[in-house]
Amino acid sequence: MSCTRRDFLKTTVGTSTLLSFAPAAPDFLIRAAVAAAPRRDERDTVLVMIQLSGGNDGLNAAVPYGDDEYGRNRPTLALPPKDVHKINSLVGFHPRMGAFMRLYKAGYLSIVQGVGSPNSDRSHDGAMRIWHTGDPDQPHRQTGWLGRAADSIWRANRAETSAVFVGPIAQPLGVNAENVIVPSIRSPRELMANRMPGDANGESLWKHAAELPRANQGNPLLDFLQRCTVRACADARRIEAATNAAQYPPFQLAGTLHTVAQLIRSDIGVRIFFTELGGGGIGGFDNHANQLGNHCALLHQLSESVAAFIDDLEREKLLDRVLVMTFSEFGRTVSENGRRGTDHGAAAPVFLAGGRLKGGLVGAHPSLTDLDGGALKFHTDFRRVYATVLDRWLGFESPVVLDRQFEPLDILNV
Amino acid sequence: MAAHIEKPSDPGWAWAAYEPDALRPWNLAQAGHLYRRAAFGAGWDQLQRALSDGPQRTLDNLLSPHADTEAFNLAHDDYEASAGSVDELRAWWLRRMIQTPHPLMEKMTLFWHSHFATDGAAVKGVRLMQQHVRLLRGQALGSFERLLEGISRDPAVLLWLGADANRKALPGENFARPLMETFTMGPGHGTEKDIQEASRAFTGWFVLRGELRFIPREHDGNIKRILGREGNFTSDDVVRIVLEQPATSERLVRKLYRWLICETEEPDAILIAPLVESFAKDYSVSRLVETMLRSNLFFSSSAYCRRIKCPVEFALGIVKGLEGMVSTTRLAHDLAGLGQNLYHPPTVKGWTGGRHWINSATMVGRYNLASALLQGSGPYADELSPPGVAQKHGRSTFESAARFLVGLFLQDDLDSNVYDTLLKTAQTADGAGNDDPAGLLRRFAHAVITLPEFHLA
Repeated sequence: MSCTRRDFLKTTVGTSTLLSFAPAAPDFLIRAAVAAAPRRDERDTVLVMIQLSGGNDGLNAAVPYGDDEYGRNRPTLALPPKDVHKINSLVGFHPRMGAFMRLYKAGYLSIVQGVGSPNSDRSHDGAMRIWHTGDPDQPHRQTGWLGRAADSIWRANRAETSAVFVGPIAQPLGVNAENVIVPSIRSPRELMANRMPGDANGESLWKHAAELPRANQGNPLLDFLQRCTVRACADARRIEAATNAAQYPPFQLAGTLHTVAQLIRSDIGVRIFFTELGGGGIGGFDNHANQLGNHCALLHQLSESVAAFIDDLEREKLLDRVLVMTFSEFGRTVSENGRRGTDHGAAAPVFLAGGRLKGGLVGAHPSLTDLDGGALKFHTDFRRVYATVLDRWLGFESPVVLDRQFEPLDILNV
Repeated sequence: MAAHIEKPSDPGWAWAAYEPDALRPWNLAQAGHLYRRAAFGAGWDQLQRALSDGPQRTLDNLLSPHADTEAFNLAHDDYEASAGSVDELRAWWLRRMIQTPHPLMEKMTLFWHSHFATDGAAVKGVRLMQQHVRLLRGQALGSFERLLEGISRDPAVLLWLGADANRKALPGENFARPLMETFTMGPGHGTEKDIQEASRAFTGWFVLRGELRFIPREHDGNIKRILGREGNFTSDDVVRIVLEQPATSERLVRKLYRWLICETEEPDAILIAPLVESFAKDYSVSRLVETMLRSNLFFSSSAYCRRIKCPVEFALGIVKGLEGMVSTTRLAHDLAGLGQNLYHPPTVKGWTGGRHWINSATMVGRYNLASALLQGSGPYADELSPPGVAQKHGRSTFESAARFLVGLFLQDDLDSNVYDTLLKTAQTADGAGNDDPAGLLRRFAHAVITLPEFHLA
């Protein structure tokens, strides 16, 4: 019989009133418990979505440098083949995505090429809605695919927070749920208990008072609230104890992923994290003019931030539980537009990172000549990637979320 | 509560007006229960007044207050007219909930906000959202029929649902479907064909630059068959037809039952049959609400604490109890973090609520909001003072003040073991190493309002 980390924490800090009244001890024990690693049987995989807001130019991220059409269509934006980090004779990473190349070589990164949506929309709002709702057929759908995923695993007697949005912008539609509450946070502090001034007992008293048996208690709601309070207190402490000392580069996305890593390490049961890059104001991925420098900085930020996150998880032996997925509302036009920029396109690559990937390039690079309104055609419906994540990674039921079964991709070692 | 003499499954007993007797006495717990459901909580004076007035007279005041509600609301409508954003509207509404002489009206406005759930972000118009909530308030205790007619003509609702261009050639279901499945009968009472036919009746209606317009040449005037009726129906006819369906009355009664009485159990059809029949006659919301609130069932153990407070009820219960006024701009933001973003319900189905309000993150969020409200500094400044309120009501020792706070927030309905633990801990442990009694009392109040019991409505 294997003793799981969660079981261990339960026995050391979960039930003993004595311990819960000695604020210094549990933290120490939690740290010790967190350091003792081997994982367990029950499904505890985590998805980390990174939204690239504005329409990422996939052609200058996973660059088809070996295709003459690439250079021909992009007189000022084409990246010199000698600087590209070459995956094969056709495709390579942007010169400033060296960290992604390193992850790729280690087998921690995959690129699904040519992903897109039917009924694609070239407006930011319309296209982003499709990626968020996971439903190109109902433009007015009000729930996000990950909100529905969180609703699908809700159980009436549990208090887990199954999905969290981490970032400085308004909560994206992608995690909007009909039933459950998905918190939006900027830092882990927001999920820790904030004591009253001069309070020496704090959460210990909170938990203790909730745990005490009540005489003649016949109200199922009170019982539920008692258990939720105890759980919330334990979760808040785990987060506090899982403080993340790892060094991350000074980017906003890196800070966000640093928070995500702390929450994963705290082992409070969050299965879905949603994060974002580029949408907090000017300077996103929507580069209609003078794209080169701005896009380069964003890709560098993405690559370095994700790599720091992956390295951190690997050190903590958590990488096998985590899958990172990027998406953007659309790719961009193959030709540049005369203002050293590109316009709204269609198909684009999706980057996946984690410890359980088969690795490599998935699917062919879309043709640079057989186009749809000047943009790449997709060959892989984005919902196939969603179904892969839901069915094979999270262990959820994708038809409940996506209304029907899409064929998952064979990209995971699980 | 004396469960043995209650007959909660007998409609005759359940809906008869509650009259206290020796076995089911009128007490502080019952008064607190009434103020949690029919208002947003109460201050000490209100609770004491209710105790001496008795249940039915207290209800008279809650149902039709003597104060000039109309003047109060007109003044607040003016304040809202100067709001430059939906965020400001949120803050004004919370202020209105706290200060109104007619809290039941705001409580029911909040109910309708979740029933006809409209997201201000999709509407992109401050004035339209202001009009929308004004419509809800205008009929909050009025006629469901008038309300539904208003909703079918409300630009905010039509924009939010994507039903702002109903062309003859392209009848969309964006209004007809929620009208029949969400706002009235509920799913499963009409066929897809009924919805399509009803959609044709709504053709001709447009929202142009925020104004509702009817364009006759875009209206399909041909014969439609809707729910077994046939005619060249208009949008008004559709509203009339869905109101004639018994399912509409039953669904609204069930929803209001969950809001006012109990969310843990669905009532039997036999139990609510008299209410369903009565409501269907003229769709008088005030009569239905009054019947429910005055009833034996409402004051029985089947209803008592059988709801979880929504975030608004949680926060305003603290504010009302402590007789203060806090920054509602800040409060609206914090309530959004707890899952209840006023003017932005998650979907057209509103807030599901109940146990869904609670997860480990929102529990910690409620704990932290309680800290922020009571700590006497920070974003909420020093507007709420447990020691001040205890002092005002003549409790000068720590122990009497502590007892007072448990009466105020939980109406003394707390296991003595828990009470003793809180009291002992508060008296023995002071981390700052001083005996500042005000600080002790603030921390004690915080411990009370973060108890599982305080989340029960």
